[in-house]
Amino acid sequence: MPDIHFHPGGLALEVRGLRVSLGSTQVLRGVDFHVPRGQVVALIGPNGCGKTTLLRCLLGLQKPESGEVRVFGRHITSEVLRRVGYVPQRLTLDRSFILSVREFLCLKLRETRHWFWQSRRQTDGLLQSALPDFELAPLLDRPVAALSGGQLQRVLIAYSLLGNPELLLLDEPTAGVDTPGENSFYELITQIHQRHRLTVVLVSHDLSMVYRHAARVYALNGVICCEGTPEEVMNADSLRQAYGIHVTPYHHEHGPGHHHVLPQRPQP
Amino acid sequence: MFSEPYMQRAFLAAILLGPLCGLLGVFVTARRMAFFSDTVAHSSLAGVALGLALGFRDPTWVMVGVSLMVALLILWLRERTDLLSDTIMALLMSTFMAAGLIGYSLLRGFRGELDRYLFGDIFSIGPEEVVLAFILAMIVFGLLFVWLSPLTLLTVHPDLAHVAGLPVRKLNLVFVVLLTLVVAMSIRLLGIILVTSLVVIPPATARNLARNLRQESILSLAAGLLGGVGGLILSFQFNLPGGPTIVVTSSALFAISLVGRRWRQRPPQPTRSWI
Repeated sequence: MPDIHFHPGGLALEVRGLRVSLGSTQVLRGVDFHVPRGQVVALIGPNGCGKTTLLRCLLGLQKPESGEVRVFGRHITSEVLRRVGYVPQRLTLDRSFILSVREFLCLKLRETRHWFWQSRRQTDGLLQSALPDFELAPLLDRPVAALSGGQLQRVLIAYSLLGNPELLLLDEPTAGVDTPGENSFYELITQIHQRHRLTVVLVSHDLSMVYRHAARVYALNGVICCEGTPEEVMNADSLRQAYGIHVTPYHHEHGPGHHHVLPQRPQP
Repeated sequence: MFSEPYMQRAFLAAILLGPLCGLLGVFVTARRMAFFSDTVAHSSLAGVALGLALGFRDPTWVMVGVSLMVALLILWLRERTDLLSDTIMALLMSTFMAAGLIGYSLLRGFRGELDRYLFGDIFSIGPEEVVLAFILAMIVFGLLFVWLSPLTLLTVHPDLAHVAGLPVRKLNLVFVVLLTLVVAMSIRLLGIILVTSLVVIPPATARNLARNLRQESILSLAAGLLGGVGGLILSFQFNLPGGPTIVVTSSALFAISLVGRRWRQRPPQPTRSWI
């Protein structure tokens, strides 16, 4: 276990010996890792490797059998969660629930909590001054349930940032987003990271995003089977451990730093 | 029309419970809990039979108690078993309704009471029930406005509500208890069979016309009020049964809102494959 003192800013996230069983299946079998403050990291793994369960533990939604999770050195309480921004993959919102983007964002700010009685000018002013660089104005009147994947992603990130989080957890952030949307999403994450000095944890099964956007990668498959810089983790051996199949990273031609990883089925 | 005390009481009940169900219905339908309300209503029949068997002249309290018990039983079974909510509710609804009907068959001479609870009898509402409806309306309106933001967030995503520090389980429980009390209270208006329409039709009407949650809440409240009071006036004028006339009036408002929807620009909606 690396020494905490190597990270002068301290740790944003510490997970030790985390074990969780769902029914008779042990989903997490002793997960250990830590995330230094101020980094963009990726937690990757194939479907069913325990990503969602781990994320639920990080948010205090799932109690582990053993082990512990510390956020900024403290156990998870509602106080600590106030410093965490969570961006879910999708909302449980019914399509017919006509909540506008403005009303949704107002739920986050203390000053706009009584949006029902406040004028549009009042709430828009408060939202605008809280998020000056977000171009939200064209979306404010749209119903949340009618947004495209990319727009919803942007609105959900804006919602988390309104709480001034120090740690941002994103669940499968590029699922349901097309390629141009994906690019603008990563630009947004880079921008946010630079401006707010946040710790960002991207939880995803999408290996190709790791090269370009994460400083550190953790590969999960019941346990953290490898971790390190993207280059270290992407060597085929350690990835095979995580994905249980042959994986070949290859570098192809549309732009510097753009890599793709092709999982291949084992040959009989 | 208003000179008769029974008419005054019927109007007061409609003015209180119509808008209350309309506003509560916005969240009930958004959280897909219409069937929950139906289950609680139908199961209350067992409560009425039990109340009469125990010798109560007015079995309302026993009915409310049994409804609450069924609501909590749904929550408990949902947490303790792997069964789908639909299955749990259908199971409890048929069991308690059947128990109620067996109870009635054993009790002689309560046929009128059975009809009154099955189909509602808004004109027989007593002064105590109006007072009860008033107290309940004040509590529920008060809580809905204080908890509008938490309840909205809970509807959007329970995990987001948890991360925001809201007590998700407690909020759910309070919502379920309030819904059960309002439904049980409204059974005297529309009867067990039709009561769910009070929490379903006004929000549906509002959704056709609203562009955001604020408009939807206000319009649903107004549709509940108009359907209740309008239906009562029509039932008095044309000597029709109160409950069913309220439902048909609410449905007529819904039909009008469908026409209004055609002139409203809406963002393109994804098509549903099963149509």
